[in-house]
Amino acid sequence: MTTQIQTPLRGKVTLAGVLRSEAIRMFSLKSTGILIALSIVLYVGIAVIATWAIGSLLQDMSDPSQMEGMGTMSQPGFASETLGSGLVFNQLILGVLGVLLFSGEFTTGSAVSTFLASPQRLRVMTAKIIFTVVLTGLTQLVSTLLAFIIAKPVAENYNLTLEFSSSSFQSVLWYGTLAVIMAALIGLALGVLLRSSAGGITVLAAVFFVLPIITAIFGSYVDWLPNVSAFLPDQLGLSLATPLSAPSDLELWQQLLGVAGWIIVPLALGAVLLAKRDIK
Amino acid sequence: MIQAQQLTKTYGSKTVVDQVSFTVQPGQVTGFLGPNGAGKSTTMRMIVGLAAPTQGQVLVNNRDFKKSKHPITEVGTLLEAKSVHKSLTPSSHLRSIAATAGLPSSRVSEVLELTGLTGVRRKKIGGFSLGMGQRLGIATALLGDPQVLILDEPVNGLDPEGVAWVRNLARQQAAAGKTVFISSHLMSEMAQTADHLIVIGRGRIMADAPISEFIDNGLAQTIVKSSDIEVLMNALSSQGVQLRRIDAQTLEVTGPDSEVIGRRALETGVALSELRPLQRTLEDAYMELTRDAVEYHSNIVAENNGGK
Repeated sequence: MTTQIQTPLRGKVTLAGVLRSEAIRMFSLKSTGILIALSIVLYVGIAVIATWAIGSLLQDMSDPSQMEGMGTMSQPGFASETLGSGLVFNQLILGVLGVLLFSGEFTTGSAVSTFLASPQRLRVMTAKIIFTVVLTGLTQLVSTLLAFIIAKPVAENYNLTLEFSSSSFQSVLWYGTLAVIMAALIGLALGVLLRSSAGGITVLAAVFFVLPIITAIFGSYVDWLPNVSAFLPDQLGLSLATPLSAPSDLELWQQLLGVAGWIIVPLALGAVLLAKRDIK
Repeated sequence: MIQAQQLTKTYGSKTVVDQVSFTVQPGQVTGFLGPNGAGKSTTMRMIVGLAAPTQGQVLVNNRDFKKSKHPITEVGTLLEAKSVHKSLTPSSHLRSIAATAGLPSSRVSEVLELTGLTGVRRKKIGGFSLGMGQRLGIATALLGDPQVLILDEPVNGLDPEGVAWVRNLARQQAAAGKTVFISSHLMSEMAQTADHLIVIGRGRIMADAPISEFIDNGLAQTIVKSSDIEVLMNALSSQGVQLRRIDAQTLEVTGPDSEVIGRRALETGVALSELRPLQRTLEDAYMELTRDAVEYHSNIVAENNGGK
């Protein structure tokens, strides 16, 4: 029997280690970079174009506050809210990133390697949640700040006020980020629940684009449907980030409770199933 | 050491692994042999906690692997080849696993070197051949320099040089006191690697013994040729000896081994033109054991049964 001279390896699995592992893997994949770049470009682009469109529209009208339906536009915070025009797109794009972060494990079979290296499955899920929150949160903050910097000269050109410290811009910045994080975590949960990229993305798109249409169509016939629609994740996000253009009947605490529900319920379901089901 | 007790796995109404109990000892190579679909992979997946047993339990070094704080330094596992994201490179895949386990990245270079993947460490895994994927899987299994190695069909897709390399690796690891558990559906492969065999068929253990027993538990058979064959037949005939005349000069003797026959021939003054022991091969023993337990029969295999 040969004796081993080298000191045996004694690595210990920690949450920080699993987080580092996630980061190494995700940043080695092209899809991560593409989705982040896409979300930033789209968000900034939509914000700048919307600012320009509204600026030129207001300039063409002598006194918009006299015109019916144009009252909101002339409010001081409206220019800031215009920066959040691309919010639903970012929810969807970064939601897709969330789906891929987990579904990729199962579609490629890498779940086997992942859960052999960390058999405590919920630790892997915790790391993925933290990673998703930080990555998509930072992406949304950067998108909004870039949109502000680039749209500001455009807005000033049309005498629109765009104040960084205004409560309108702060809402777009922070509640917009919250809305994106919520969408990304819904995506992550769909990824572990469905274990399929295509399935997860389809359901995510249905929640953000199809459900609102359905509730809008039937909302006029069924009394309680408009209340439901206020709690859909796209409406919650819009009414929190841009309350002037997407007013809601809900109190702030109700809206925040809705966001918490959309984050906690799918993830909790995902965690239960992840712990229980066999890894293939 | 791996200890399985009454391990059972059912999928719906199908029992894939049926009350399996065995112990895999350290310091030797244990082969896990069985036809396709016999339950080898499912058993291995239960050992490392990827599949939950329907009944029974399995311990690795007296512990449940799922609670291990040092999982990949305790157990190195190769399950399916390419259980890796195809867009990653060997380097990023291994670095990511090393990060999870808190191992230094210098270990990544070591196993890349060890498995001959250093040259392709920045190539996409998606473009790898089956053999290279298998090498990467083995590199992953070795990353934590584990006490227990579990390899599911490790030589699949490897070239002869790679097969020999895996064989040496398994023997070295066992010699270093580690537990080595290797599955295969090929007896010929196990015959050259394993010290101990566990044979599984249709989810049940059919045999669990040192490899020597698989060859020795039959009586010796010898082919003898001589022009004085009848004299020899008389000299050999006694209790416990079976003689079968094959042709005018050839005899098949069951019972005494070739040394006894040779001496008797010398004593009686019979000149032998051939004295050839018939080895009962491991392959024969395996075929016999699993004949009724093969999940997917092909007619050719059934008819060739016991053939060379």
